Amino acid sequence: MRVRGAGLRACQASAFLLALFLSSCSHQATQAAGKRLIVLGVDGMDPVFLETHWSSLPNLNKLRTEGYFSRLATTIPPQSPVAWSTVTTGMDPGGHGIYDFVHRDPATRLPMQSMTEITGATKALPIGPYLIPLAGGGIRQTRAGRAFWQILSEHGIATNVIRMPANFPPADCEAESLAGMGTPDLTGTNGTFLFFTDDPAETRTTVAAGQIVAVKVQDGRAVLRVEGPPNSLRKDHATTFVNLIAHPDPVNPVARFDLAGQQVVLKQGEWSDWLHADFHLIAFKGAAGMFRVYLQQVHPYLRVYVSPVNIDPENPALPISTPASFSRSLSLKLGPFYTQGIAEETAALRAGLLSRAEFLDQSKKILADSLRMFHYELERFRDGLLFYYFSSVDQNAHMLWSRHDDELLEIYQGVDTAIGEAMRAAANGATLMVMSDHGFARFDRAVHLNRFLMEAGFLSLDDPTNLGDDPAFVHVDWTKTQAYALGLNAIYLNLDGREPGGIVSGFDKQTVLDEIAARLLAFKDPVTGEHVVDKVYLGAAFQGRNLKYAPDILVGFRRGYRASWQTALGAVPKLTLEDNTDAWIGDHCMASDEVPGVLLSNRKIIAAAPGLADIPVTILKEFGLPKAGGMIGESVF
Amino acid sequence: MDLFNSALNSLLALFFAAFAWAPPVLGLSVISALVGIGMLWVFRQTSNQQGMKTVKRRVYASLLELRVFADEPMVTWRAQKSLFAANLRYMGLALRPALVMAAPVALLLIHLEAFYGRAPLPVGQAAVVTMATTGLVAGELQAPAAVAVETPPVHIVDEREISWRIRPLAAGSTRLQFNVAGRPAGMTIESGGRPRFVPGRAVSSAWSAIWNPGQQRIGSSAVKWIDVRYPEASIEVLGLRCNWLLWFLLVSMVSALLLKKRFGVVL
Repeated sequence: MRVRGAGLRACQASAFLLALFLSSCSHQATQAAGKRLIVLGVDGMDPVFLETHWSSLPNLNKLRTEGYFSRLATTIPPQSPVAWSTVTTGMDPGGHGIYDFVHRDPATRLPMQSMTEITGATKALPIGPYLIPLAGGGIRQTRAGRAFWQILSEHGIATNVIRMPANFPPADCEAESLAGMGTPDLTGTNGTFLFFTDDPAETRTTVAAGQIVAVKVQDGRAVLRVEGPPNSLRKDHATTFVNLIAHPDPVNPVARFDLAGQQVVLKQGEWSDWLHADFHLIAFKGAAGMFRVYLQQVHPYLRVYVSPVNIDPENPALPISTPASFSRSLSLKLGPFYTQGIAEETAALRAGLLSRAEFLDQSKKILADSLRMFHYELERFRDGLLFYYFSSVDQNAHMLWSRHDDELLEIYQGVDTAIGEAMRAAANGATLMVMSDHGFARFDRAVHLNRFLMEAGFLSLDDPTNLGDDPAFVHVDWTKTQAYALGLNAIYLNLDGREPGGIVSGFDKQTVLDEIAARLLAFKDPVTGEHVVDKVYLGAAFQGRNLKYAPDILVGFRRGYRASWQTALGAVPKLTLEDNTDAWIGDHCMASDEVPGVLLSNRKIIAAAPGLADIPVTILKEFGLPKAGGMIGESVF
Repeated sequence: MDLFNSALNSLLALFFAAFAWAPPVLGLSVISALVGIGMLWVFRQTSNQQGMKTVKRRVYASLLELRVFADEPMVTWRAQKSLFAANLRYMGLALRPALVMAAPVALLLIHLEAFYGRAPLPVGQAAVVTMATTGLVAGELQAPAAVAVETPPVHIVDEREISWRIRPLAAGSTRLQFNVAGRPAGMTIESGGRPRFVPGRAVSSAWSAIWNPGQQRIGSSAVKWIDVRYPEASIEVLGLRCNWLLWFLLVSMVSALLLKKRFGVVL
């Protein structure tokens, strides 16, 4: 009898809980029903640039005057993967675990991809030259925490998240999503272009994010070998490739390109549309890619730029969307589009292979591509959330900041038209938010942080004369090194028990950190007399448990200063500071306070000092959902 | 052969015009069914029907033997040999009608490819026109106002070809005129509008003309062919897009199988 009574009570309690759960769901659904929220993420949109150009940006100006405009505090460090991971999860780096574009592997002290992890098959069947994977292996996103759109879709809220950065492979959910920045090209890199020429004066073979390939024009043809991914189904992992045949006219500045049944005729200075390539892996199986060709010059020497091989969205070789068929349906509606996360060809401009005008031309094609997709998404947006990300402002600001404002303004104006469209779509009661992850500043002086650490006595070389641009700390004497820098803001201690052979004990850790911080804050540029570092952040200040890759110190540079490219890869050059002579003239990897982002909305923002972590909380609240565990922000409304 | 091509083309054009109001799949289904019936009739006329009946009975008998005497290895072995021989015999008997039908069906498929396999050039979209020549000669392309020629000629030295990039500016049928080594040559291109007969390559040799219907033969001996790459067309069946040939084969076979008893044909 007692047992029956207990069973009855258990049943009653279960029914009550179920009813409570259902009523809470229905309450949330009621709150979410009919809600429409449009969030536009504009990477790198700067508040000062906006304030200087309101009159040229009519839609942004209208949104500001009729709605609200505020600065938006960025993350520490103010780097896009970090910032967008915070927007995605509502956590700081200690929660989501992304601290930089690159992390350092404590076991090797070498750089590694921060956003994705690729593992090989754990079991494979060897057949002749082939290796058929049977188990394990794959590509996984390293970001911890739940994406806000996962939470929304779990509650049945229609959600479209297009090109969200640091979301490759895309977070698993019912929502329609397309991966953005961080999506690799087909070779697995962030984008490796090819430049073919028969110009004997071009002696380089590799440049950052690109290869220069010498070709021979014979009998009016040149074979351009376009490489695809390494063939993981072969034991030797031979690189796959397709041959693009170039036929330059003997006289006219024009050429024909042939690729597997496709032909395109280009005049000098023209870009092709997408050429589709199938990189053969095994019988009946290939990896589908696509690339664009730019015929820079025909005579006297052939100069051909081939873009990184993008994952073909119609038949993606790697996961780039949820559901998996979403990228295909977009491609069928819109035609092929850039899938590479950062498609603007800054690397070829930096290498001097493309001129600024050529870079801008390519950049505007990417913006047009993005606007076309945005227009399509906005047209079919009915209910729930639409998030759309624009990369163009950020990538162009890196190459144009403060020296070519008119050209940068054109890019801003392109995004401004999209904002105008969104405002019209939001006119009947929808909420519109426009936000950026960080602002911009000049990058005038490059700081070689490892050289600074060496001068300050925290880093030693095997031979003090071995200074140079060799990456990966090849000449560092780890038995005498207390700290080293890698990435764009990070310094790590050579910590006993964490780094192999680390020499800083746990007991001495805080003392060494304080010493380095003091030296950084006292660090002055001998040329300008200015302080180089504005703020020093200690990694221990992060909230959360994902501290495995946390730097011990994050360097907040003053405006105008940034860690050098050599620092990012672990080099110890001869100088501590030098002029930035690179075409990359604008940046944001400085003190977070120096480069805030922006937040505009057609609704009143009541938060006094909104920050990136507030964005996902605001989105969830708009649909009547509480903030999820680990989220550290508050709603801005 | 030009005359034959022209006649067949006119006939198909009439048929196509009759179905212009309907989605392409309807006209294709009708013609596929008619072809299926036609093949059935040819099969009856040209095959040894009595021989086919006999060989089919032998096949059934062998299959029965295999089933009934499954535990008799010698019988099973004999039945398998007999089945194999009967199959060979069947294929032999089907060879004559297949040979009789091969040429007309191939020609018909070439014409149908022009109707259902190629789409007109999209207006406003670039396309490449290529001319193959017999030697290294200079070529000139004169296009009417409806087509923009966007590039100078590209001489493909090793392949003896000349290419241009063109862009149709209006829908319709347009004649491109070429001047090669002082002699004229031409080809018609189709752009925009509804699905219709889209001729392929213009050629100079009579033999090639059989396989490339719909274009006037090129008179200049300096030119082998002129080609433009058309987008591939597909048909929509119940919301799914598929290659027209698959649908043609499916409908013609199904109609032949369904009607074989009515026509008294042993297949």
